[in-house]
Amino acid sequence: MAIVKAVKTSALPAPLSETSVVGWMKKNLFNSVFNSLLTFVTLYIIFMVVKAVWVWGIADAVWVADNRRECFSINPDGACWAGIFAWVDNIFYGRYPREELWRINLGIFSLFIWLLPLWLPRVKAKISIGLTAVFLYPFLAGYLFAGGDKGIFMQIMFTAAIVCLAANTIHSIIGVLIGRSLPEFLPFLLGQKNVNEKNRRNIFLGVLALGFILVYVWQMNWNLEGVSWTKWGGLFLTFVVAGIGIASALPGGIILALGRRSEMPIARALSISIIELFRSVPLITVLFMATTMFPLFMPEGFVLNKLTQVIIAVCLFSACYMAETVRGGLQTIPRGQFEGGHTIGLGYWQTMGLIIMPQALKNMIPNIVGNFISLLKDTTLVSIIGLFDVLNMLRAIGKDRTWLGLHIEPLVFGAMMFFLICFAMSKYSRHLEVKLSTGHKH
Amino acid sequence: MKPKEKFDFFHDERVRSVFYQALIAAAVGWFVWSLVSNTAQNLEARGMHTGFGFLNVAAGFDSSFKLISNEAGVGTYGRIFFIGALNTLYVSALAIILSTMLGFFIGVMRLSSNWLVSKVALAYVEIFRNTPLLIQIIFWYIGVFSLLPRVKSSIDLSGGAEVLLLNNRGLYMPWPIPGDLLWLTGVAASIAVIAVVAFRRWAKNRQDKTGQTYPTFIVSAALLILLPGVVYFMTGMPLDWDIPKLEGFNFVGGASLPPSFMALLFALTIYHASYTAEMVRAGILSVNKGQHEAAKSLGLSNNRSMSLVIIPQAMPAIIPPMISNCMTTIKNSSLAIAIGYPDLVSLFMQTSLNQAGYAIELVCMTMAFYMVVSLIISWLMNIYNKRVQLVER
Repeated sequence: MAIVKAVKTSALPAPLSETSVVGWMKKNLFNSVFNSLLTFVTLYIIFMVVKAVWVWGIADAVWVADNRRECFSINPDGACWAGIFAWVDNIFYGRYPREELWRINLGIFSLFIWLLPLWLPRVKAKISIGLTAVFLYPFLAGYLFAGGDKGIFMQIMFTAAIVCLAANTIHSIIGVLIGRSLPEFLPFLLGQKNVNEKNRRNIFLGVLALGFILVYVWQMNWNLEGVSWTKWGGLFLTFVVAGIGIASALPGGIILALGRRSEMPIARALSISIIELFRSVPLITVLFMATTMFPLFMPEGFVLNKLTQVIIAVCLFSACYMAETVRGGLQTIPRGQFEGGHTIGLGYWQTMGLIIMPQALKNMIPNIVGNFISLLKDTTLVSIIGLFDVLNMLRAIGKDRTWLGLHIEPLVFGAMMFFLICFAMSKYSRHLEVKLSTGHKH
Repeated sequence: MKPKEKFDFFHDERVRSVFYQALIAAAVGWFVWSLVSNTAQNLEARGMHTGFGFLNVAAGFDSSFKLISNEAGVGTYGRIFFIGALNTLYVSALAIILSTMLGFFIGVMRLSSNWLVSKVALAYVEIFRNTPLLIQIIFWYIGVFSLLPRVKSSIDLSGGAEVLLLNNRGLYMPWPIPGDLLWLTGVAASIAVIAVVAFRRWAKNRQDKTGQTYPTFIVSAALLILLPGVVYFMTGMPLDWDIPKLEGFNFVGGASLPPSFMALLFALTIYHASYTAEMVRAGILSVNKGQHEAAKSLGLSNNRSMSLVIIPQAMPAIIPPMISNCMTTIKNSSLAIAIGYPDLVSLFMQTSLNQAGYAIELVCMTMAFYMVVSLIISWLMNIYNKRVQLVER
């Protein structure tokens, strides 16, 4: 006799070992005698380390004091963060004139505004926004930071950068609000409904030209006070050097990588020798080469300042490292992609730009960002050849008379700062890799 | 009718290739020529001398730490170059060995089934990979090794025996002085090594033929320890130790390592171990899971499946990045300049350059040293890669 159930039995809840905290702990922390022992030992070590750091860095730390002696008299065992607070402006801006700090802040803010649309999903023409940021932003920032008398070239580029930033911003606002691009929206604003592509472009260019003239006339009348590069310093200088290095690494690296894979023997030999030369020597020797040998290379009467020398060296160095990363990415692209590109009638540059590079770079995002991170970390080396970057500023705290001997806290602070930036960059690159992956990888 | 192959001068690939290359060659040629002529002009204008003759000139300074003897005012710049190169290789070699050991340890921790242990290893890796090495080096130097007690109150690392001492002037340790008959112990040790190799080969042959295994580990360990040990004691222990003694304000005798060396070694080891750990982890994870299961189903224990099945297959994935990590370690040891450890860059590119000038020669020689080292390392890597590829079917 068969027993048939008419009603479906409801599933039992998952066993306690799978869902409860205790079950998880049993599985992951106490699954054997040895592992249990290991867990307790590790817990003890973590406890001791965290306790020591907590007591030194927070519980016993001195947050408000006028000098190091006062720190000592309040609590000799804790960290003296008061020194960091007193020097916070120096750490971030170096010896930049205090009344001109708004220029640095404005420069950083305008970069933020310029790049923000890249993260807004409804904004169109992101590639143009990115390209203008790479090619025009340096002039805006360069003039804001350095100031002085604008030459005719600088006047044109500075104006172009401002017009471009304004156009980008309006374009992005329109994009976010109604999902249109600026060239589409302009005729509508002028009361014309049905405008063809060509007229639309002409109207857009006309408005840009008008804006250019207005801004040009406006900026002719004033000049910012010149700030010599010797006054640049702190995290700001680190970001300037690293930023230029990062921005030039990718284009330089792509050119060198293409040269290395090219079928022209002279181009290949040249790329290989440049890449191998700079990759096999430490960055510090390249920096020394820049400061000692570049002056000899220059024609008479032509003097490069130290900052420019360092930036050239960092750019060469980072481009060579990037070249190998890009080459690694190019090697992951199957031959069929090149052949497919040629078959549909694309030339070398079109195949590279439209088919190969987008895939190669996408495959290499974590490595490219890894390169950026190591470049940012390596930028601290410029302190060795005497630029007042963030590390030199941090070390100067311990030499200041009021904070004499305060060495450890600034280093810990600097390490934390770099950790936050680099860690965030690497996490974001992982996120980007997942977001952009098209599922071709297995 | 056949389509006629028309030769289009402007759109022919070969013509274009030749044209572009000629353009590149001309640009490079012009660039190099202008550099050389500018340099020659500048050198003349500043009255600077060139040539490698200065290498035979006595240098007016001496290195604070050296592996070969030297004297200020006597030793030449050539000797200074060797001292610097040896110092660089010395600290890098120690850092490579230690960071490999620490890195393997952390990498295995990272793969532990214990959640807490693997997270601790992850925290280690993230913290040390994401902070600049230069800050870490300066931290170890200023924050740890310079704050050690003074010579009078040295820390005794040997637990009361007073042979291994640490203070703010560095680490002091005993140094062996070989006696007359020590060479006999050396001979015995080499015989033991040869015997072990022969025995292992014989045991492997035997296992291949009959399937019988021998306790090779115990036998080789016994051979390696007993044979030299017995000879050593029979010849009357011909080895003395030069132990550091406190005389006046400093230790005399023995060997010592300055704080800058210790700081550099610590920082390089800890920093590069975090990279090694990730390589080890990635290498072990790259081995197919089925291999592990197959080894288990054959009845191999966890340790034996690791050493006989997993590690041999993971090695081809671990070794190449590890070798380039070695190269990075050697290059990063040049950061010694920040804390005053006299490595090649600090001795040759900084001190010698300030003293003697000859910027071009000094910079080129220093760079050439690193390039030669990197060439040797990549040559070794190619040999290894070839060997690994031959093993593959």
